[in-house]
Amino acid sequence: MSASGTEEERPELVCQLEHVQGLVDALSAVRWKRHQDAVLELSEHGIVLVVQESGCLQAKLYLKRELFVRYDYNAQVRPRFGLSLGIFVECLNAFSVPAHSTPIQIQYPGPDMQLLLKSVDSMDASICAEIRTRIPETIAWDYNFEPAGTNPLTFTVKSAALKEAIEDLEWPGSSIHVILEPDPPSVTLRAEGHGDLQIDFLYYANSDLLVAFQCDHRVSVKYKYKFLKATTSNMPSSVIKENRGSKLSIGRGGMLKVQHLVSIAKPLASHSYVDSIGYQQPSRVAHIEFFVKPEESDDSTND
Amino acid sequence: MKFKAFLTDNGVYLLEKRFLPALDKLGKTCHVYLTRDHAAFLHNLLNGHGLHSVAQFRREALFDDYRISSQNDDRIAFAVDVSLLNRAVRSAATVCCGSSSDGSNNRLQIKLVKKLPPNCTQPMPFLTFETRGYKSAVIHDVPISKPLSKTQVLELQSALETAQDLPQTLVQAPDLVQLQNFVDRMKYLGDSLNVFISKYGDLHVEVSATLISLGAEFRKLMVIGEKADAPAEDQNLSAQSRSSRSILRGDGQSVQVSVKHFAKSLQCHLAKPDCAFYGIAPQGSCLTVIFQFFIPGTHQTDKSISLHCRLPVLDPGSS
Repeated sequence: MSASGTEEERPELVCQLEHVQGLVDALSAVRWKRHQDAVLELSEHGIVLVVQESGCLQAKLYLKRELFVRYDYNAQVRPRFGLSLGIFVECLNAFSVPAHSTPIQIQYPGPDMQLLLKSVDSMDASICAEIRTRIPETIAWDYNFEPAGTNPLTFTVKSAALKEAIEDLEWPGSSIHVILEPDPPSVTLRAEGHGDLQIDFLYYANSDLLVAFQCDHRVSVKYKYKFLKATTSNMPSSVIKENRGSKLSIGRGGMLKVQHLVSIAKPLASHSYVDSIGYQQPSRVAHIEFFVKPEESDDSTND
Repeated sequence: MKFKAFLTDNGVYLLEKRFLPALDKLGKTCHVYLTRDHAAFLHNLLNGHGLHSVAQFRREALFDDYRISSQNDDRIAFAVDVSLLNRAVRSAATVCCGSSSDGSNNRLQIKLVKKLPPNCTQPMPFLTFETRGYKSAVIHDVPISKPLSKTQVLELQSALETAQDLPQTLVQAPDLVQLQNFVDRMKYLGDSLNVFISKYGDLHVEVSATLISLGAEFRKLMVIGEKADAPAEDQNLSAQSRSSRSILRGDGQSVQVSVKHFAKSLQCHLAKPDCAFYGIAPQGSCLTVIFQFFIPGTHQTDKSISLHCRLPVLDPGSS
């Protein structure tokens, strides 16, 4: 029951995932609008999906090879191709059967450089899909995140609290100040526009929400609301159910990095509550990173 | 022209809980066609567009004390709004059940009447549901179209007869709810659906658009009619190559239908059929779905109830 009889060229990648819904969740998290293009990079370590918008916002989804039950990588040069993220998500959705774990096989390339998807749970009933890929534009990514100084500026907040805070900041307006204060250790999100709204996370008072904090001098950086919102708007419900945390770091030039963890494995009924990030089966978790450029690139740090 | 009958309990159950909710999803209005022996609900049989559906009941399945007379060989047909009909049956059934405690004869009578509605000078036709209790009578009037003329009724009758032709090969559909889930998601990706059926018991549905093709393949389904054994050398081929090879051999056929029509036809699962069969009519003229109902508690077909849909093909002749 192996592949066809003729000794054809082996595809560059054949991989299998146990639970397609986990992948749908992870991909949806980096989908902030209906029509969006993504670039996929395949390597011996796994798959990276990159989405970006107008030079201000970039998202990366890392699917390590450990997430797959099978990962056969045979390429000499790392393949890189573009596709429509919306179509990819809608298509994977068709594979997902409610309350049923559907294993899926992903193969690249097909005879016409397509991405091929196939359900593999039953011989007598199967779902197949072909998604047309394209050659990605060779634009330079300039989202190299570098630390702002010797000490990192970073904090970890419960993902649900972060999402809620960002949603609450919608009404005042277009720009959000993210302020880190070392004494007393706190994080402030402030919106100014039609009105003012400020949300404070105090490290000592809200240690259940602000789980980690590192900052040695005051920093205040301004970001566009719509980009900040994109980092949490489609956060999968599993992230909130599993009580995960999100890590935010401010780097050189005020670049904001937001990191989430999304569970790819089928949720276990007995293990649905997790205490802190990465606690449950770290190998079954996909990493998501958003990079948001500050609104005014020079006016980044200092008080 | 007269029609008068009593709906049986089972008739109320069949209409209220099963058939009318399904028919409501197929289209806003349908024709009700009453003959001496049958009552049928027909969608789009006269206009030729869209999804055709025929739900036919032997009169004993729905009624007792059934009286019909017309100058047109005791046949009466009219158009009705399915959701109004559904509401009237549901409401009349509630009244009927609610008043049963007093032990009176609370049967649900259905009849054709002409009434003068308020602010009108012309009497209008209605289908009336009448429930008589001990102290009160509740009447629901459902407005209907003017009864169809003799030529229209003949047209309806001949359309109904041609609709009875069976495809040569029918394959048993997989779980309808699961198929519906899948097709609902396909709707976002394209408008037309390729349906392939073979004598080996293969059913293959696929949407294909410029950027994507997505399909589901079901194999080894039960076959009624012409069947054949799948060639062993085809076993490990892809779904597409298997279907094109069997079409070349004359063992398979494929047609293109609207995804929306296909999804609508799956709504017939609301009528709780025991199984469903897909087949392609000769020359690929349409895709037929036949729903089968068993006599409760058995695996024998209940011949007093039948339901089938015919989906127009989008590109005739390409098969």
